[in-house]
Amino acid sequence: MTATPPGPVIRARDLLASEWTKLSATRSNAWTLAAAALATLAVTAIAAHAIGAARVPPPATGPVNSLTASFLGYAEYAVLPVSILGALAFTSEYSTGLIRTTFTSVPHRRAVLAAKAAVTGAAALAAGEALAFVTFLLTQALMAGGHRGVSLADPGALRGVLAAGLLLAVVALTGLGLGAIIRHTAGAIAATVGVIYLITALCLVLPGPWNTRIGRFTLPFAAFQIVTGHPQASLLPPGESLLVVLAWPAVILLIAAVFITRRDP
Amino acid sequence: MPDRPGLLMGPAVGVTLLAVAVAFAAFCLVDLRRARQVRYLPKWGWAVIVCLSIPWGGLAYLAFGRSGPAVAWTPPSPAAGEAADPAGQRAPPARRRPPVRPALIEASGLTKRFGPVTAVDGLSFAVRPGLVTGFLGPNGAGKTTTMRMILGLETPTSGTALIGGRPYAGIVRPLYEVGSLLDAGALHGGRTAWAHLLAVAQSNGIGRARVTEALALAGLEPVADRRVAGFSLGMKQRLGIAAALLGDPPVLIFDEPAIGLDAEGIRWTRQLFTQLAAEGRTVLVSSHLMGEMAQTADHLIIIGRGRLLADVTTSQFVAANTRHDVLVRSPRAAELTGVLTTAGATVSPQDDGGLAVTGLDAPAIAGLAAARGLPVHELTPRHGSLEEAYLDLTENSTEYRSAPAGATS
Repeated sequence: MTATPPGPVIRARDLLASEWTKLSATRSNAWTLAAAALATLAVTAIAAHAIGAARVPPPATGPVNSLTASFLGYAEYAVLPVSILGALAFTSEYSTGLIRTTFTSVPHRRAVLAAKAAVTGAAALAAGEALAFVTFLLTQALMAGGHRGVSLADPGALRGVLAAGLLLAVVALTGLGLGAIIRHTAGAIAATVGVIYLITALCLVLPGPWNTRIGRFTLPFAAFQIVTGHPQASLLPPGESLLVVLAWPAVILLIAAVFITRRDP
Repeated sequence: MPDRPGLLMGPAVGVTLLAVAVAFAAFCLVDLRRARQVRYLPKWGWAVIVCLSIPWGGLAYLAFGRSGPAVAWTPPSPAAGEAADPAGQRAPPARRRPPVRPALIEASGLTKRFGPVTAVDGLSFAVRPGLVTGFLGPNGAGKTTTMRMILGLETPTSGTALIGGRPYAGIVRPLYEVGSLLDAGALHGGRTAWAHLLAVAQSNGIGRARVTEALALAGLEPVADRRVAGFSLGMKQRLGIAAALLGDPPVLIFDEPAIGLDAEGIRWTRQLFTQLAAEGRTVLVSSHLMGEMAQTADHLIIIGRGRLLADVTTSQFVAANTRHDVLVRSPRAAELTGVLTTAGATVSPQDDGGLAVTGLDAPAIAGLAAARGLPVHELTPRHGSLEEAYLDLTENSTEYRSAPAGATS
């Protein structure tokens, strides 16, 4: 039973392997992801079929055009479960006490945060891109009758699909960061839902120009601007919206990185 | 923290991540430019790169380490016989155990306050290698808090806890240095025993072969692929002990490892701890039960209300605290005392008029009294237990005490 340490520093791949084992060995994660993907596919397919069968072609611009029709079920059926899975990545360890084993094995807590974020983000990105391409191809095929569909070669289409996939990684990391900050499952899920949906809902009821002035900095509006091929003029242009989308998880993870060493598990 | 290990993930990983982020932003920019949604690409480009770099770069900086002096892992000095091994690193997996590097656990002035409550109060002790050290105290005495401070999970209000001369947070691959079991129930119920151990092992670069070994060592091989949600507390304890042994560490810390174990399991832990100590390791085991520790530990550290009450070898504690005397009552106590003292016994009068006699056993006392015609009303051999001595010691420092029976009537 001789064990020999491989070297003098913690290697990133050790931590990544450990976090990947945790993620992949938990069956509920895979089931949740699969269920979310199926639900998203089903809902967007039904919507696409309805649009494809309609007499009037969808408007080229506006909230529902041929490109955004591919991602109609996204906000509810893909974003919500993935962001909650992200939150659970930390809170499940805090609620079971497993976090103490984790921090005893790796006393450098920020490295744990970074490894968890990298693995969860990468898994969500891979799942997100796969889901985005499958929904796009399926729904555009359903809408193809009467030249209502768009192809990946159309301007902005590839970017929209890539951005839709990226969005799942963004919300997973947002949930993960909030989970690390709040540490309780129920609280973290509530905060994640709040950050992603409730702030936007609040902006919708604000009076005129303030609804868009504040709303353009929320995740869903910014996400809409980069996914759609025809952004709204009242919101931020796609480039700035991409920054907004990336800034949410970055800022939240930064706060988590500061807190994680200040509070004892 | 002064001893933060530097270059944890390697700068290459951080730079790669940053490069990927910047490349993605650049791709989006070019795409936006093609779509005629960006008018001034150069201006935009700088804004994007700067805005992306600040938060993500800050995160990378925090995660990948302020490069402090790296606490390098010093390889164990090879034994004299192995030093000349020409195969070097590729030596066959011989069953020879490399000598364990002895490492002390040292606490000095360790104090932890939670608001107004002082959980641990100026605790100083050293746990030496080659011995099983029992860490005793009533519930709420501060045992777990102390262990958590030793393991870097709790920041001491003041004082230090060092393992092998350095704080736990400064150890790069702790599983090779310190094995610990704090809370056996701290498991994710949805994972199998194998997956749990593997995740713990991988974080320190320990291979799969060693995970299998550790499972076998704890007798958990048959349930390796079962999810831990269905495990009994005893099985969870065994899994926790297996995790502690993963890195074959010279220091082992166990918090209440016997809870939930059956008789066979308790015997197994006892033998395991004794064997680990015999191999030259430092073994610290906490318990709130004196009887259990008296059979396992070579040395005792007893605390109450966060303060050190005793730091003695078990044999010293047993010798000092186990009494064998005979309680004698007689209406002519003074005469009997004289007789017994002459016969070589030590007699100490009790508060209630009885005599505590040591140096003579009950039949001898009865014989002497009968020979002198002295009436004896009571003759009781007494064996004070270790448990009593321990209770006496910790009596004034018990956090939670039940009211004496009958006090409410």
